[in-house]
Amino acid sequence: MIRALLLPALLCAPLTLPAGPGHAEGSADDDVRPAAMPVNVGADWPYYGGGDLSQRFSPLSQITPDNVAGLERAFVYHTGDLPPGETAGKYAPETTPLKIGDSLVLCSAMNILISIDAASGEENWRYDPQVPREAIPYGATCRGVAAYADPDRAEGEACKMRVIGTTLDARLIAVDFATGAPCTDFGRGGQVDLWEGIGEKIPAFYAVTAAPTVVRGVIVTGAQVKDGQAEDAPSGVVRGFDAVTGALAWAWDLAAPEEMRNGPPAGKTYTRGTPNMWTTAAADQARGIVYLPLGNSAVDYYGSNRSEAENTYATSLVALDATTGEELWHFQTVRRDLWDYDLGSQPTLLDYMGQPAVLLPSKQGDLFILNRETGAPLSPVGELTDLPQGEIEPGFVADSQPVSLWATLRKPPLTEKRMWGFTPLDQLYCRIRFRQAVYEGYLTPPSTENYIQYPGYIGGSDWGSVAVDPTRGLLIANYNDIPNLNRLVPRAEADAEGMRPPDARSGGRGQPQVGAPYGAKTNAGWRSGLTDLPCSQPPYGGITAIDLQSGEPVWDVPLGTARRSGPFGIPSRLPFEIGTPNNGGAVVTASGLIFIGAAADNLFRAIDTETGETLWTDALPAGGQANPITYEVDGKQYVLISAGGHHAMETGTSDAIIAYRLPD
Amino acid sequence: MVNAPSPGQRVGWGVKLLGWTCVLFGLLLFSGGAWLIALGGSWYYGLAGLGLFASGVLLNRGRMTGLWLYLIVWGGTMAWAWWESGSDWWAQVPRMLSPTIILLLMLTCIPALSRAERARG
Repeated sequence: MIRALLLPALLCAPLTLPAGPGHAEGSADDDVRPAAMPVNVGADWPYYGGGDLSQRFSPLSQITPDNVAGLERAFVYHTGDLPPGETAGKYAPETTPLKIGDSLVLCSAMNILISIDAASGEENWRYDPQVPREAIPYGATCRGVAAYADPDRAEGEACKMRVIGTTLDARLIAVDFATGAPCTDFGRGGQVDLWEGIGEKIPAFYAVTAAPTVVRGVIVTGAQVKDGQAEDAPSGVVRGFDAVTGALAWAWDLAAPEEMRNGPPAGKTYTRGTPNMWTTAAADQARGIVYLPLGNSAVDYYGSNRSEAENTYATSLVALDATTGEELWHFQTVRRDLWDYDLGSQPTLLDYMGQPAVLLPSKQGDLFILNRETGAPLSPVGELTDLPQGEIEPGFVADSQPVSLWATLRKPPLTEKRMWGFTPLDQLYCRIRFRQAVYEGYLTPPSTENYIQYPGYIGGSDWGSVAVDPTRGLLIANYNDIPNLNRLVPRAEADAEGMRPPDARSGGRGQPQVGAPYGAKTNAGWRSGLTDLPCSQPPYGGITAIDLQSGEPVWDVPLGTARRSGPFGIPSRLPFEIGTPNNGGAVVTASGLIFIGAAADNLFRAIDTETGETLWTDALPAGGQANPITYEVDGKQYVLISAGGHHAMETGTSDAIIAYRLPD
Repeated sequence: MVNAPSPGQRVGWGVKLLGWTCVLFGLLLFSGGAWLIALGGSWYYGLAGLGLFASGVLLNRGRMTGLWLYLIVWGGTMAWAWWESGSDWWAQVPRMLSPTIILLLMLTCIPALSRAERARG
């Protein structure tokens, strides 16, 4: 009844949702299986993206721009999961907890499932799936978990509410939300092995680092396949599993969707080397649609021997019927991707121009808004034509590409004067390197000379995704603004340097791209060989508020101070905003605040949604490269971030989960 | 830099240190700058390197003209820096910071240079 009253109100008010606890971010039809969680965002944070629309928006409003300066630490919880010797320098937990009832549930870097009291930080239980160290791929990362309430189970029955975790050694784990005991009716003893149908088991080649998505009782997950190793890499298959039994509901193998729907036939594996989904899918619970942001093929920087199916689906958003796994539509953001512009952000659902819409951020910066049911663009999409073809494979490189005419996080092409340094000498060095490099602007194709890729492969928008404030009609996006300096390495040189893909006995080395005539070298952030500073001038990252109606930025400011940055890795301690690289997203609240860590300065900050002004900061023990959350217990609003640090961001390592609230 | 010159020496070690620093960095800037010009890039570094080198040589000889020449180089640098990047202060760090530090060091050499000029008559 309440739902019947709410729904027309929602439809009549695109971009505006009633603020305040008790209102659903979305609502499910009655004739289908209910949403994964019968809990709304507000006091709780039941989904990785907040509510089921993945808006990273909370209706809570106790903490306001006026009182946020008084925010204090409520508790600091330590997971105890810190890297032992040989894995030091490989940790990036990136963890975002869920909050349901009185408990927070989260996963540590090595996938230990943990429940803590949401008000005190005291540990309720933990379940350690015993992930071996050699399973760590690029980094030990566990971005989040999913929760699912089994509608057919009685209240109080074990595993009525269950936590679904994923592991680096590619398992799905289901434990009871209240006790952490494995749900024994799920898979084998509470586990499902995702290696099934993938092929030879090579540790770290195939790992799950993203939170799974549960829609209509189906757990949807992809996996991270180590980039740039070989054409003969684990499949990018995306699979759905029954959230109660763990049985395979469907498999979506983009190269053989019909043949593989119920798993590969005996003796076969899912199609190898295909584009994968390493990030978290979004789901329309009411429509039963799951949106898969796909990455690129296994070999990123060479494409001539990719299959037609790969060329059709790589770097696309794919909408599937969540119950059957059948494709509804797909939208490709980069044709014949040679830049590793994987779709890394979880899309966000919203109502746009009176239509159900999905907002798709991208690493190249373009933001697209599509109709949720048809995939038809609701924001204008243009065409870049006469693009440079390069000399490596001019017959393969696309000569035109889609581009968002509505909004983009991408900045104008680099010029020589945007080369940087600490003195004129190192700036001169970078200017010489710029002039020597192959660079024909956005989408310069790969070369055996040093070539500039801008934006680089960390975005634009990466896995932190964007947030939407539906009450103000604003999209909040943090982004990176740094180039890569890349080079294709001819096979003989790659072999001479010992580049090799991982095998069952040892890990790989470099990006050999076996199967292609070239390996690849990528200098992310284009560090100067002289000072270790980036060769391009700051800002390296920012945060912007974009008006959803017009696509125009309302404000756009650098994100991150220079306090931890400086030449030769010496912290400058300068308290000025320089705009650092950043990883991890934001949460926005109805009271007009944005909470975000992400930046390389290890500060957690509150920003005024209306102006972009930083109103409060707290120095974290390590980088806040994780999406924060906000929730409420006993009438008190909390904000929480995992301060785990990130190996590649050089922001230290910590096991601290820190919650904040206003003093009593 | 107010060290007294010893007999037979026009300027003291402080001025010489600055002078040789300018010579060294001037040479590096000039050669790298010439390379950048050859690659089709900015002419600033080659020209500034030449000016810095010459200032350093003059400074080593106890010539006040070294300071005047550097003032021209510094002024030109500021004008060029503003033309390239305006009020973007992070972008101005490599352009303005160290040339200005060198200017300040040169200003402290004024007494020593004056004495050297006077000694020369």
